[in-house]
Amino acid sequence: MSIIKQSLRGLIQPLIAVIIGLIAGAIAILVVGGSVTETYMEMWKGAFGSFYFTTNTLARATPIILAGLGVALAFRAGFFNMGADGQMILGGLSAALTAIYLPGPGWLVLVVSIIAGIVTGGLWSFFAGWLDAKFGMNLLITTLLLNYIATLFAGYMVAYPFMDKTGSAAMAQSAMIDQSVWLPKLFQGMGLHAGFIIAIVAAVLLYFFMKKTVMGYEIRMLGNNPLFASYGGVKRGRMMMIAMLVSGGLAGLAGAGEVLGTQYRFLDGSMTSANYAWSGIMATLLANSHPIGTAVAAILLAALQTGAMGVERNTDVPLEVASVIQAVLTLFVSAKIGYAIWKRRKGKKTNGTTT
Amino acid sequence: MLLQMKNITKHYGNVTANQAVNFDLGEGEVHALVGENGAGKTTLMRILYGMEQPSSGSVQVKGNNVSFDNPASAMASGIGMVHQHFMLFPSFTVAENIVIGREPTVGGVFDRNKAAALVEELGEKYGMPVDPWAVVSECPMGMQQRVEILKVLYQGADIIILDEPTGALTPLEVKELLVNIKSLALQGKSFIIITHKLHEVMEVSDRITVLRDGQVTGTLAASDTDVEQLSRLMVGRELVSIVKKDVEPGEAVLEVKGLGIRGPKGKALLKDIHLEVRAGEVVGIAGISGNGQSELIQAISGLRSIDEGKVQLSGVDIQGMDVRDIREQGLAHIPEDRYLWGAAKDATVLDNGLMGHHHKLKRRGLVKGKEARTKVTEWIKQFGIKAGTVDNNVQNLSGGNLQKLIAAREFAHDSHLLIAAEPTRGVDIGAMEIIHTELIRKRDAGVGVLLVSSELTEILQLSDRIVVMYEGEIAGEISAMDATEEKISLLMSGGNRQT
Repeated sequence: MSIIKQSLRGLIQPLIAVIIGLIAGAIAILVVGGSVTETYMEMWKGAFGSFYFTTNTLARATPIILAGLGVALAFRAGFFNMGADGQMILGGLSAALTAIYLPGPGWLVLVVSIIAGIVTGGLWSFFAGWLDAKFGMNLLITTLLLNYIATLFAGYMVAYPFMDKTGSAAMAQSAMIDQSVWLPKLFQGMGLHAGFIIAIVAAVLLYFFMKKTVMGYEIRMLGNNPLFASYGGVKRGRMMMIAMLVSGGLAGLAGAGEVLGTQYRFLDGSMTSANYAWSGIMATLLANSHPIGTAVAAILLAALQTGAMGVERNTDVPLEVASVIQAVLTLFVSAKIGYAIWKRRKGKKTNGTTT
Repeated sequence: MLLQMKNITKHYGNVTANQAVNFDLGEGEVHALVGENGAGKTTLMRILYGMEQPSSGSVQVKGNNVSFDNPASAMASGIGMVHQHFMLFPSFTVAENIVIGREPTVGGVFDRNKAAALVEELGEKYGMPVDPWAVVSECPMGMQQRVEILKVLYQGADIIILDEPTGALTPLEVKELLVNIKSLALQGKSFIIITHKLHEVMEVSDRITVLRDGQVTGTLAASDTDVEQLSRLMVGRELVSIVKKDVEPGEAVLEVKGLGIRGPKGKALLKDIHLEVRAGEVVGIAGISGNGQSELIQAISGLRSIDEGKVQLSGVDIQGMDVRDIREQGLAHIPEDRYLWGAAKDATVLDNGLMGHHHKLKRRGLVKGKEARTKVTEWIKQFGIKAGTVDNNVQNLSGGNLQKLIAAREFAHDSHLLIAAEPTRGVDIGAMEIIHTELIRKRDAGVGVLLVSSELTEILQLSDRIVVMYEGEIAGEISAMDATEEKISLLMSGGNRQT
């Protein structure tokens, strides 16, 4: 019972944020002279209006959920892993290359490709953790900068050594993955693939991991007060390595899922331009790093994006209305972080006083 | 009467912080306001200082009804307050801090020399000389306290509220402060002192008002009462006096040999420390905080690496072992700062109670939730911790209750050595009594206790042997029999070194 209650509590914050975002969006719609109800109706239809649109939204949410979960884990441990983008790209690249070049039965190659994606993303993130532990390099900076290396490296790989030369289009992309290695679609003719199930399972598993396991406990305490954790015998360096490894692994899984379930090849720039990783970070922040909340927030953000496409298809209101809503959400998130920092400072001042 | 507060009642929602409180103050009087944490002392003073509005009741200054909407209007009526945490600008000079808000000017420009002269004059007038040009961050705490009081005097206060004024001061500085208060009172200034240190109260005040649960349980002349009676009024019951069993100390559980630690610039933080704690004894480490006690505790508990010498726990060398290994070797540790080291503020009571026990309560990688719950719930009952449920956030606990939780957590270990660092800092008498009793119970049961405290009364009350630290070295050791406050104070301030 308390688990349900806890999960519900995780949902409240993203919902409030989205409602505030929608109010701001309504103002923007009024300013450009559109009808608020009509626009939001179209947005709803574009996101959940039919079975097709719903599955489309969930398909879009899949990589956002996984990347968000990875970030959530790192945040909970107190580490700002901003490298989801690069970890996801390298995970996707290595999953694609494994799927294309590894011989063997399709299901086995699929499993190995997914694992390759997880391991690559995990190691890329682990590398940043190692730089911190070994040389004291700031994790926030390294993870952020490693994104560029990952993006450009992946771009080079599919533009030169592994470029698809079979097609006529001269695009920077890998060859097509054999159909036997594809992640199965959940419904005939829909975009939604098995990666979504994996993402939901991952969210539930992460929730139980954080809540019930000794290691999850240590990670939470480390994020809450590192000195308290070290006083209680938690090894910071070891925990950071583990947290970064799993965090990057989840981002890598997001990339692998996107490649094996949606694109069936690695296409340069496709993940960055869709903003999956940053949406994932935002979902995490909205949900206060609660795993279930992160999944819900990810679906909401995906719905906002697919819904906006519906708005543009069917009304005169521009797609940018969704950007307004997202911007307000971002503002809300940063205000929340600012408030938390402010509260922490204030808390420090009043330490030890009473009443 | 200079000041009268009549029938002050203050509600916060359902909580009554003050219930029909009467409080008055005569000219030149020192009136102490004592009570446990949460008894309503601070609320009452916040009302007087205009930071809160009473739900009902009246305040009179010199016979006139007043009501203060903010501290500025309280100040205008001659009421000044020195907060527990000093509110000074550390990078400015003493003079600048004192004249702030009413700066002397020359042609519209701040006149530093005049300010310095004014401050110097003020200090001399009230017998509290200061160097007006000194930068506040470089002044010792006692001097900062003095600056705070001068600031209030400069603002023209006749009624001065001091909130826990001695918390951060050394014993010598405390003595000086008390002398200053008395002499200011002779010059007609009136003081309200909020504190829980009853010995200081007895020394300095004329009258004492005791609050418990928001109500006045007594207003007494200092000459008619004693510490015991005040404690009873504060706690509402008899306090158990601490009785130590005669225990012959056993084998050494902690041996520190030639321990040295250097700071970042090579400066020695600890120099050649030799220390032994045997089973069944309390070794008290006295000293003004910042003289190496923290480093010593951190070295023993594995939180800091050792540069020289060695540390043995029950005969086992603990160098290079990590915190967890050392704890499993038999160490329990009540940390010196409950918020910095002892707790995770945004986590639940359960999570905070689990720390250090979590590997013992592990099954296949999972925390045994039920057992952990039972355990922590038991502590809450045993130590009378007001925590609500174990799922409550520790942020909602008062300092004393959190300290009890931390102490209970560490008492629950089956340890050979228990480090108790400032185990009762900022907690009320009731909590202090419980923690002290349990510390002695541990000692009687054959645990070696290393008590680190800047509170001399605590050290004298509990220790079998007392070691004094000064500037990273052991300045002397005294057995409990021969120890007096004077001897220890002298060693603490670096005088009369023994070797």
